[in-house]
Amino acid sequence: MVLEITKVCKNFGGLSALTDVTFSINEGEIFGLIGPNGAGKTTMFNLITSMFTPTSGQITFKDEDITTMKSHNITEKGICRTFQNIRLFPEMSALENVMVGQHSRTRSGVLKSVFRTASQKKEEAKIKDIAEELLDFVGLSTFSDVTSENLAYGQQRRLEIARALASEPKVLLLDEPAAGMNETETSDLFDLIKKIQQKGITVLIIEHDMPLVMKLCDRIAVLNFGKKIAEGTPFEIQNHPEVIEAYLGKEEEDQYA
Amino acid sequence: MLIEQLINGLTLGSIYAIVALGFTLVFGVLGIINMAHGEIFMFGAFIGVMITSTLNAPLWVAFLGAIIITAIMGYLLERFALRPLRHKQGVSHLAPLISTIGVSILLENLSHHLFGAGNHPFRTSFAEISFQIGSITVYLVQIVIFVISIVLMLVLTFWLGKTRAGKALRATAENLETASLLGVDTKKTILMTVIIASAMGGIAGILVGMAFNSVTPQMGLSMGLKGLAIIILGGMGSVRGAMFGGLILGLAETFIVVYGDSGYRDAIAFLAIIIILLIRPQGLFGQKIST
Amino acid sequence: MLAELINPYYLQVGCFILINIILGISVYITLSTGQLSLANAGFMGIGAYTSALLTIHFELPIIIGIIIGALVAALCGVLIGIPTLRLQGVYLAIVTLGFGEVIRVIFVNWESVTNGSVGISGIPHIGREILKTLQGFGFQPISIGLQNNQFIFLSIFILLLLITIFVIWFFRRQHQSRVGRAFAAIKLDEKAAESMGINITYYKVLAFAQGALVAGFAGAMYAHILAYISPADFAYHRAVEILIFVVFGGSEVIWGPIFGAFFLTLMPEVLRFISEYRYMIYGLIIIIMMAVRPQGLIDVPLLKALSKKGRKRGQKHGTGNHKSM
Repeated sequence: MVLEITKVCKNFGGLSALTDVTFSINEGEIFGLIGPNGAGKTTMFNLITSMFTPTSGQITFKDEDITTMKSHNITEKGICRTFQNIRLFPEMSALENVMVGQHSRTRSGVLKSVFRTASQKKEEAKIKDIAEELLDFVGLSTFSDVTSENLAYGQQRRLEIARALASEPKVLLLDEPAAGMNETETSDLFDLIKKIQQKGITVLIIEHDMPLVMKLCDRIAVLNFGKKIAEGTPFEIQNHPEVIEAYLGKEEEDQYA
Repeated sequence: MLIEQLINGLTLGSIYAIVALGFTLVFGVLGIINMAHGEIFMFGAFIGVMITSTLNAPLWVAFLGAIIITAIMGYLLERFALRPLRHKQGVSHLAPLISTIGVSILLENLSHHLFGAGNHPFRTSFAEISFQIGSITVYLVQIVIFVISIVLMLVLTFWLGKTRAGKALRATAENLETASLLGVDTKKTILMTVIIASAMGGIAGILVGMAFNSVTPQMGLSMGLKGLAIIILGGMGSVRGAMFGGLILGLAETFIVVYGDSGYRDAIAFLAIIIILLIRPQGLFGQKIST
Repeated sequence: MLAELINPYYLQVGCFILINIILGISVYITLSTGQLSLANAGFMGIGAYTSALLTIHFELPIIIGIIIGALVAALCGVLIGIPTLRLQGVYLAIVTLGFGEVIRVIFVNWESVTNGSVGISGIPHIGREILKTLQGFGFQPISIGLQNNQFIFLSIFILLLLITIFVIWFFRRQHQSRVGRAFAAIKLDEKAAESMGINITYYKVLAFAQGALVAGFAGAMYAHILAYISPADFAYHRAVEILIFVVFGGSEVIWGPIFGAFFLTLMPEVLRFISEYRYMIYGLIIIIMMAVRPQGLIDVPLLKALSKKGRKRGQKHGTGNHKSM
């Protein structure tokens, strides 16, 4: 059990975005989090990465309570995320974006940086090497000098994954990575996420592309109106009556909306 | 003695409230700190001096003149310093703040050239009239200021709560896009907000001129800073917060002068905001514009 | 011949340009995390008063006074930064503005120490101290063909020039490092920066304190060059003046404030007749820049275009992989 969500609730004002949600993720698996728009999926990501604090409930990572930990410490512990609405550093090059991702794995402070000590130079070289490696890993090595805002949409999504991987996560949270991608890009993304899993990284993914989710995930949890209505293997989820009613029945609407 | 100071404090505080309302309206609707508000206020005060002293006209003409001139200044401010920045891609949220700082420094120095750097007395025909109630002395000026301020606040509250334009303004403050979808002409609403806020600044300028019998180009800055302190104290964008925050600051300043060191009067406002930011960063009265 | 060129007036203007460059950089540093500080005039005042008082009353060497002055300013920066930097950007701008005003009020009112609005005079002068020290070793300016007066101003100018170069070097190197990347990331997207493991409060306070340190340092130098300071030197006008170096020159690259400070300090000296309208012109410049070119005159594309031209002429230019922010 690498990540455990226990009875998590989140209220905004009087409205409850999540109610008593419990699930846990095993090491090395790809876990899908699905549900109609507004079901609270991204809110769950925000709670896991401590961008919000839960109203009640507990989140543990490798048996350590991280519920109220600071965001940047959680990244350091080994949980990193991407964003639904792509949040790259727009004016930085692709390479620099990935270099920033390694922040929590590197140490050089002001003085070392200014006086360029031997250890700092070594660290910078390492940062650059790793960043180039990761760009290569996501298939963007030829774009390393391109400003991230000038990349194509699908490339930006992959760059965001590379940036998150740069923080050497144990658990990677992907928020709708296939949104806006065409079929070839989606199939590349499938391969990429499988490759990430092979690296030993646990993946928690929010995604609306059902064929992708069903093909990709080992297990899936379904949220509807802030409550978990089902959990299980893709096969179980596909045949779960409540899920079919709440979500899959709506799929067509969603896709053509 | 205590009651006299209380009256002094309330008079001062009600003026502060009017100044702070100007800041809060603009912040509520546009999310912008209008750094030039203090200088517009100062221009209002000078217009008052010019009309009453130079032209020897009655006070109501001074109010009218100040309202007209500061409303025009509000229009120009919105048209040339704020509107060009709106909807511009990649402009930092600091841009309008910096732009209004530019306006403030321009206006302050313009007033140096127009009116001179010195002190201008503000004469009113009833400056010396006072009443004796028991052992307490109350000046007519104080009553006039207090009444005008309260009436202004009531009118504003009524206008925001009950009229169509006021509701449009609150809708815009709540969410610009939604308001625009609901058919509110947000462009007009924004312009109107800046103009109304500026005109209120102009009125406050005359009230301060009457209260202190002195008008200088520097008063814009010090009043502007206090207005800012009040809206942090009361909660950014909160109408009620601006009113109560103003009264609290006015009373606090009056009592520090009586019981403490008068030189530090101008520092209280900022000690207050540092404390507020530590304890209750959203201010005393919530977040959004409300009546 | 050389002696005639070394005109104390020119050198003094040069010194003011250099001090203003340092002040411009102090705002630029804080802005490179996306935070606007309007307190740098106040920090400058803290540095100036601290160093002046220490050197006058405790007869500390100027260099010690300047260092302590800068450190005290940085400490104030940390104290004011920690509560406010966790909040929205506009709060910081207001609080820093108010802080500057509080500092001025203290300078005016704490008469027993600061001598009130009259200010402090008779502050030890760096140039004279340098001359005195060198004379102690038997050096006379006349031996290199200079008057004492010329030598004094020349020595200050050279000292300031070296310091300015050091400051630029320091912050350029910091910019091209892990710290600089963290600053830039925070400026571009705070939330994303935080989820990449960057402790944004730490870096914002760091940038704010660095700005305060540099401004305090510039203030201390200012005190020991003019030998006279008063609260009016560190008021709102100064804050706006420092801001405009950045707004006009450019806030995204360090060359912006350098150019802004250079141009705007020199302009009123060259064009005497406009100096009376200086602040009105400043106000207009700010309004126009924000509407037309909010990033300032010098930005990254401009620098890239210039360095391409330079390379064509066969010059080799620094080509770090970090574009300046």
